[in-house]
Amino acid sequence: MGHCITVEKLGIPTTPLVTRAFHELAIGNATKRGMPHARITFTPHPVASKTPEELRAYVEGKEPFTGEPFMATIVGALTKPLTAEERATGPMKVASGPERYGPDTPDHLQQFYLDNGMTDYLPVIIPTEEQVTAMLAGTRRKPDEIVGRMAAGAYEPWEYTVRQVAINAVMAGCRPEYLPVLLAIASSGTPSLMSSTNSFAYAAVINGPIRDRLEMNYGIGALGPFAQANATIGRAWTLISKNLGNGGIPGDTYLGSLGNNLNYNNLIIAENEEASPWSPLSVQKGFKAGDNVVTLFQGLGMVPGQGAKGGALWDGHHEKQISDIFKIFTGLFGAFAVLDPLVAQDLKKNGFDTKEQLIDWLFENTRQTVADYKGRHFYDGFDLPRALNGIEPFVSWSKLPDDALVPYWPSKDFIHVVVTGGQTNAFFQAGNLRHVRSISIDQWL
Amino acid sequence: MKLNRRKILSMLGLSPALLAGGKVAAQQPPASGGNLIEGLNPKGNPPPIQLVPLAPRPASLDGKTIYLIDTGFAGGGLLLQEIQHWFERNMPTVKAIFKRKAGPYMEDDPTLWQEIKANGHAAIMAIGH
Repeated sequence: MGHCITVEKLGIPTTPLVTRAFHELAIGNATKRGMPHARITFTPHPVASKTPEELRAYVEGKEPFTGEPFMATIVGALTKPLTAEERATGPMKVASGPERYGPDTPDHLQQFYLDNGMTDYLPVIIPTEEQVTAMLAGTRRKPDEIVGRMAAGAYEPWEYTVRQVAINAVMAGCRPEYLPVLLAIASSGTPSLMSSTNSFAYAAVINGPIRDRLEMNYGIGALGPFAQANATIGRAWTLISKNLGNGGIPGDTYLGSLGNNLNYNNLIIAENEEASPWSPLSVQKGFKAGDNVVTLFQGLGMVPGQGAKGGALWDGHHEKQISDIFKIFTGLFGAFAVLDPLVAQDLKKNGFDTKEQLIDWLFENTRQTVADYKGRHFYDGFDLPRALNGIEPFVSWSKLPDDALVPYWPSKDFIHVVVTGGQTNAFFQAGNLRHVRSISIDQWL
Repeated sequence: MKLNRRKILSMLGLSPALLAGGKVAAQQPPASGGNLIEGLNPKGNPPPIQLVPLAPRPASLDGKTIYLIDTGFAGGGLLLQEIQHWFERNMPTVKAIFKRKAGPYMEDDPTLWQEIKANGHAAIMAIGH
């Protein structure tokens, strides 16, 4: 929608074509960009995957909302004189509601927050003034300090303060000592709910001594519901994304076709630095050992790995198993391996002295044919336009024959390895997740 | 060397969360009658919106040049080409030019926008799936 408004601003009458499935989204998007009366023409849904003959029927058929011939609607959008509303300029009033709700009973308020899309549809802690004040004791930052801005996609971002982050932290069930982690995440402007029709998943890896101060779980069941900090930090990230970033509104700021169960509380990983034979992820990202850091990832989700044959701890060739799993991933996102310490220790025993050596091996030994590469969903929408724009390695890859082999990822930077878990067996999991950014938690203490 | 309990548990493969305490008693639901409280608004601050007027429209498309812009969404290009054929069949005085916007769908293409401003009178842009 932004491109259409850009062209309208240049004095060129424009009609955006949108399928009927995105009716509310398109109007909402145009409104947020200052053009609530943009002359949008809707088509039947879907357009993708239709043959030229089927699309010709769309063109010669009716516009689904006006009931007029489709092409007459287009011609009208480009030629009918403007109304007073369409010529209007000036500010449009926007607000996100009063400062507080009530007084009312806790049950009624609970239902109010749920009915108004402010929750994840699980019960929340009602954020009273007293509880928010207690939460704010978790940081030295001032309550009215601006933390950051967040957008759920191609929208203008919303802005928020330390106090507003604290309100969401209370709702999620966080303790005050978790607040600096949430402020670090919120300061990045990274939402855990993305507007894409794909159903994104998000992860946060936490390094440093704060893991123990928050009593985070990086032992048995490290990725499961077995510690308050792991559970509620991730949950608060999603509430922040909904309430502070205006994300997660189905049909408006969220379009994920299937949705993603990880969005409830995201994948919060405290790295098991003590049992890992390698340096922490935060050090790989340029921080000093001992710094408290949160590193965010974005992508499509996680899949389990079965481990080496027989769960062998000798010559298990976990690297081969991991690279095999990576081959189901799309190169648009990264590869993210979560290893139990037993796997990491075995890999070290087999010659991978550092994470970087393992990443090098995985990059060099995960290959696909050009035919497979070009057949993937994201090729036409992302890599082909980059190739046409002269961006490497997409230009070179696009010129290779179909049977040539190319890496899954443009560079080794797309592969990450973290170590966590309770060492009950030599298992791993892997995700199609790419690095977004790493943020110091210490600056928010 | 002094080891803290969390580190010892981790080395044994046990969850450090076990140290969180043994409190297991369930909390009772809050009383619903007479206990009135206020809840704070968890929403952030939306950006201000400035209304943008639409571009003036021509009285008709006769003799005009229309750009058909494919932004990269799957199927959008084929749909626009069918629209181009419709103009050829039904409004032959309209010059309908098909263009693929450079870059992935969300990236700007100021070169194309300037071309449209210089040579075009209207635009049709496929932006949804």
